[in-house]
Amino acid sequence: MLLLPALGAVFVIVTIPFVLVAIQSISADDGTLVGLRNYSRAIANPLLYEAIRATGVYSLIVLPIEILFGLGFALLVHRTVRPQGLRAAIYILAILPLVVPPVAIGVVARLVYAPSYGVLNVILERTGFIHQEVNWLGDPNLAMLAVASVDIWQWTPFVYLVLFSGLQTVPKESVEAAQLDGADWWAQFRYIDLFYLRPLFLLIIFFRLADVLRVFDHVFILTGGGPGTTTQLLSLYLYRVEFKYFDSGQAAALAVLVLVSFSILYRLISRALPLERT
Amino acid sequence: MSRRFTLAIFLRTTLAAVALGAVGLVYGFPLYWLFVTSLKSKAELFASSVHLVPHNPTFAAYSSVLIERGFWVLLKNSVIVCFSTVVVTLVLGLLITYPITRLPVPPRLRVNILIWALSLRFLPPIAVVIPYFAIVRTLQIYDQPIALIGIYSLFNLPFAIWMLKGFLEEIPLELEDAALVDGASRWIAFWRVLLPLAAPGVMAAGIIVFTFAWSEFLFALILTATPNSQTFPVGVQGLVTQFEIIWNDMAASGVIAMALPLVLMVIGRKYIVAGLTFGVIREK
Repeated sequence: MLLLPALGAVFVIVTIPFVLVAIQSISADDGTLVGLRNYSRAIANPLLYEAIRATGVYSLIVLPIEILFGLGFALLVHRTVRPQGLRAAIYILAILPLVVPPVAIGVVARLVYAPSYGVLNVILERTGFIHQEVNWLGDPNLAMLAVASVDIWQWTPFVYLVLFSGLQTVPKESVEAAQLDGADWWAQFRYIDLFYLRPLFLLIIFFRLADVLRVFDHVFILTGGGPGTTTQLLSLYLYRVEFKYFDSGQAAALAVLVLVSFSILYRLISRALPLERT
Repeated sequence: MSRRFTLAIFLRTTLAAVALGAVGLVYGFPLYWLFVTSLKSKAELFASSVHLVPHNPTFAAYSSVLIERGFWVLLKNSVIVCFSTVVVTLVLGLLITYPITRLPVPPRLRVNILIWALSLRFLPPIAVVIPYFAIVRTLQIYDQPIALIGIYSLFNLPFAIWMLKGFLEEIPLELEDAALVDGASRWIAFWRVLLPLAAPGVMAAGIIVFTFAWSEFLFALILTATPNSQTFPVGVQGLVTQFEIIWNDMAASGVIAMALPLVLMVIGRKYIVAGLTFGVIREK
């Protein structure tokens, strides 16, 4: 049939890497099979747990803030901005960060946070908030915040766009009825808007989580995983094991572990997704 | 009553304006700083204090990046890779979505294909690039554009499938049936009837795939080594991680990297949210 060749080819092409990485994960560099030794080395490496921790911290900073800010801004625009022209302008401005290369945003972040030329320090000094340069990228906690802020900057607009379009589906009649009954804005949000937005939160978490767990570009540009290993997220860690330590056995084992845990995660989340399945 | 009402409206408008202004500043100022830095001369960068407004704006950094550093070659590579990716992705996407929206296929197969495509969205690139790197070396296409085109097409296919499925579904089956009854072959009906109707959607999917491929960095970093196939983001990265950063060159490269997607988005703006959410959110 018409469908089979294309689909078959794609399926095979997608499957080959998984088979290869599985083989690589139980082989030594010279190709001899070593059983699960690569896995035990991968699991015994404390750097793995630092990477998992960094990824967890990063997600826990980024996801709630993006969702809260995105929701707040969607409500603000929905409730207060009436002119269609202004709404359209905000729409266009909001999609722009989503399509800009993360590498370029890493460059922007570098220009903001870097020592000496970084404009954040310059402004804070000139306005008298600080008298000594803050080392945004050299301090472990600040570096994580700096890296997270880039993600928040780039992706809050995505949350905004999804939730704002969700708010447009709230029937005017229910809002008017609620207002007649004397519902204040919080009650309107709590009992009407939220009802229509609820499925969208899952959607946002799915797509954002998929991206947050694979973050590489802007962190690589901004801190390269440092200082130390404080911003070395999972993907940067795997990159380092394969392409800096040239330990392909361990890297392959890590890749398999990541693939397995991600597909479990995917199963858990995707079941609840409000995607049309017909 | 009415005075309290106007006061409330006034407060609300002020609050909204302040919030919108603050957000505008948070987004506008870093971009302003990027652009301004790209307009500074080398001499100005060495000035004892940092200038928030450039004193002698110049495009020197742009020519330095594109010509002296030879980044125009990387730009060319990027365009070639992205354009080929778009073509391959769209052809594969149509080959897969045409049957599942137009032909009588078992619903289970259809759902499974869609779910499988969605699951690829969750696939972490770093875990795939490790085996793909081995494949690329075995096939001896390391540092060749084709290596990037292959993996980009694969990673963009899920988007393409979901978007094209959405667009194809909206076109009534009857239109093609009419052509088929008139004696046209399936291919003619597809080429003459369906494709022209689906063209805006296919274009939109193409634009989005182009911008994604344009932004891609990890695969390009690993699978390329020389200006033979390096894409623009790899060049940008080279300017950033040097020991001594040349701020104006780095900023200029950032501006160039951003320019094309921004222009494309003006055309594809109606579809980007649909693309990013696999068609769940549609702009009306």
